[in-house]
Amino acid sequence: MKLELGFIKIEDVVLGSESKIVDGVLTVDCEAVKKLVLENDKIKDVQIDVAKPGESTRITPVKDVIQPRVKVEGPGGIFPGVIAPVDTVGSGKTYALEGMAVVTAGKIVGFQEGIIDMSGEGAKYCPFSKLINLVLVIEPIEGLKQHDYEEAVRIAGLKVACYIGELARTLTPYRTKAYETPTLTEGLKLYPDLPRVAYVKMLQSQGLLHDTYVYGVDAKKTLSTFIYPTELFDGAILSGNCVSACDKNPTIVHENDPVSTELFEQHGKTINFVGVIITNENVYLADKKRSSDWSAKMAEYFGVDAVVITEEGFGNPDTDLMMNCTKIEAKGIKTVLVTDEYCGQDGKSQSLADSNPAADACVTAGNANQVVVLPAMDKVIGTLDYVNKIAGGNENSLRPDGSIEAEIQVITGATSEVGYGLLSAR
Amino acid sequence: MALRVVHYINQFYANIGGEEKADYPAELRVGEFVGPGMALKQAFGEEAEIVATIVCGDSFFAENMDETTAKVVAWVKEQNADVFVAGPAFNAGRYGLACGAVAAAVKEQLGVPSVTAMYSENPGVDMYKANTYIVPTKNSAAGMRDAVKKLAPLALKLAKGEKIGASCEDNYFNQGVRVNFFEQERGAKRAVDMLLKKIAGKPFETEYPMPSFDRVAPNKAVKDMSKATIALVTSGGIVPKTNPDHIEASNASKYGEYDISMFNDLTKDSHETAHGGYDPVYANDDPDRVLPVDVLRDMEREGVIGKLHNKFYTTVGNGTAVASAKKFAEEFSKKLIADGVTAVILTST
Amino acid sequence: MKYFLISNNPLARDTLSAEHELVFVDGSFLDVLYEARDRCHIGHMLLSHPLSGSVKPNETLYKTVMISKKTGPTDLDSVLLLEKAIETAKKFGRVRRNWQQRELDDFQVVDLTLIQSAIESCNESYET
Repeated sequence: MKLELGFIKIEDVVLGSESKIVDGVLTVDCEAVKKLVLENDKIKDVQIDVAKPGESTRITPVKDVIQPRVKVEGPGGIFPGVIAPVDTVGSGKTYALEGMAVVTAGKIVGFQEGIIDMSGEGAKYCPFSKLINLVLVIEPIEGLKQHDYEEAVRIAGLKVACYIGELARTLTPYRTKAYETPTLTEGLKLYPDLPRVAYVKMLQSQGLLHDTYVYGVDAKKTLSTFIYPTELFDGAILSGNCVSACDKNPTIVHENDPVSTELFEQHGKTINFVGVIITNENVYLADKKRSSDWSAKMAEYFGVDAVVITEEGFGNPDTDLMMNCTKIEAKGIKTVLVTDEYCGQDGKSQSLADSNPAADACVTAGNANQVVVLPAMDKVIGTLDYVNKIAGGNENSLRPDGSIEAEIQVITGATSEVGYGLLSAR
Repeated sequence: MALRVVHYINQFYANIGGEEKADYPAELRVGEFVGPGMALKQAFGEEAEIVATIVCGDSFFAENMDETTAKVVAWVKEQNADVFVAGPAFNAGRYGLACGAVAAAVKEQLGVPSVTAMYSENPGVDMYKANTYIVPTKNSAAGMRDAVKKLAPLALKLAKGEKIGASCEDNYFNQGVRVNFFEQERGAKRAVDMLLKKIAGKPFETEYPMPSFDRVAPNKAVKDMSKATIALVTSGGIVPKTNPDHIEASNASKYGEYDISMFNDLTKDSHETAHGGYDPVYANDDPDRVLPVDVLRDMEREGVIGKLHNKFYTTVGNGTAVASAKKFAEEFSKKLIADGVTAVILTST
Repeated sequence: MKYFLISNNPLARDTLSAEHELVFVDGSFLDVLYEARDRCHIGHMLLSHPLSGSVKPNETLYKTVMISKKTGPTDLDSVLLLEKAIETAKKFGRVRRNWQQRELDDFQVVDLTLIQSAIESCNESYET
């Protein structure tokens, strides 16, 4: 399966009365976006704003970050099974808007979380501070249930991202990159001497506010399965996860799947990257056993020599991570894990809730309990009302001068467990 | 003004002599730099100077640890040091322990930053890495240049009171504290690079070592206990009254082997505990509480077990190095097998 | 029903008690884990992960755990997983703040939905 990815550079985003992209400047028709969002009668209102890198601006509470993309050639559309009809994506040609993102914000639950600071200490930890963010602050109708609100915000963000992406359809990308995964038999012929590598990607799937969707299917109802990495690049996997801002994978991270991208870099040179095995992180223990049995079985069947395994979340997923690792290692397949740590503000406690000697090769995205002080910002998009309530904050987090003292847990994407960022620990 | 460094070395690096001079008493040489001090001085350049060197024989230190440590701390204070440097000790065990002990004491008692350097297997590393900065070195003095290259910048940073980065950034043994820092490459790239090394069978370094437990796979179950010879082994410190072999109350350097063929029951008159890590009252009152000879004799009589082995092995688990414990067990396991013991009951405290 | 629930979540009790056997623990998150561990020691099996959910043990007050009704020899994996969870929960320390009722309600809802996802899986699966 072959996908050509074209990148459209966005240098600026302005709000206006007509939606267009001209010379790298995206103009957004606020009324049109508002109309699109309010199509859902569960949403009462939406505020639209723009936050740019270097500004004294704080966005919170952040729910999702989405990169606008458009499918210009080949079957299907972006976010199949959710926004576009169900159809196998991952081939043909897709354009991605580089340098900007759609950010959804809204207080879905009382302890809602997620901060993106556009400058200052927090911006160092947040990969999305470097983007121009088109922010949608979404307000629900009175009395809307949490799961309905989550769904409404999730879909609104995706719709707006697709609407923006569509504006790029007739543009010419400033750079393109082709990604190709041969079939198993072709791969064997093409690279008979290269070690075969797969990526085992664990998807958050524990329940309300902890969900991930694959072609529109709730991942907790899936068996571990195979997916071409280019399907991810077309939005086949998207986030319904709102808890634990620092190490959840927003949709943009699935669209730009970092491990697949890095494996593609080595594909045909040092390794033969055969594809992605997706598996879940359910609450029911028998599901964990079944899913990890299944991912190990698939790794064995594909005849791979090694895999990278990533998780999403802490606690419950650590058990899946260790099950996947030990079962795959037991088949003689080498593993490298990516995780983050919760070893206390002093860095002295046990980092993971589960561990195993088989996990001898581990990449860490850092200690999420590290305390930082985020300076006051001139502008807040969303609301600071909940800063004291977010994960990693406490009742004294929001200080009188508007600065925030909290753990880096509060920062969206700070300790990405799919290796999206630079943070590490020793 | 240059920063003030006080340097600690042993008799060997002060060119006094080897093992035969290891009893050389501690002395302060103000205004001198000796041996590795020369290389350090060069590396410091204009930024810092070694204002004094403390020389001490390794045996002298080991035998007069408390007084010597106190003396070193007083000298460092008197010299108004900005940083205290000890070693490098490479793989010299007693030297490493001395460097670790004085560096930790200077840091703790004076608040003066300290740093030392040694080989990863030097016992000083495990003992003191949480209390001072220890720079990893090669296992012999052939690694001096490399050691100084890492030691000097860290010493300068400490002297200046700069923020110390993660252990891999500033070259020291992890202090058991996880420290965040930004890598050059993102996590996904690092994972793929690590995987490539692992596939190729090349050495790689995990960024998060799993907590290590030296797990021992259990033996097969004993089929017929009524014919089995059972031995008792304890880390609870039970010894014959008066502790004839002087097993230490903590950080034990030895184990004991004692005959119990004449005992049906251990009593406060016959046995006691040497362990210094728990309230000994109940163990001393009835040592069977830790080493259940009485119950095993009952079982022997009832035919539940074949017989109780006539010797027991004992040490004190209190702060005892895992390496020592392993060494003890390797020795007495051979004796147990040679004596035809079927299974062992291990008791702790 | 092949399982029962141990919970300190009033919403889980009120929602699930009619159709499920639920042992209500009038205590903390940790007390629920202790209760579950003690039952596993006497031969019940742990069926749901004790650290379900990304809300950390020093944030939420509520926990619901699923245990098998059937007993057998002590299942070491169950006991170990619970012990590790207890250790982890202790490490996170006490809940840091006084929550408003709105937030408490939300924590209850999240815990309820997490255990409902386990119930759904369990009901669909072969009796173990």
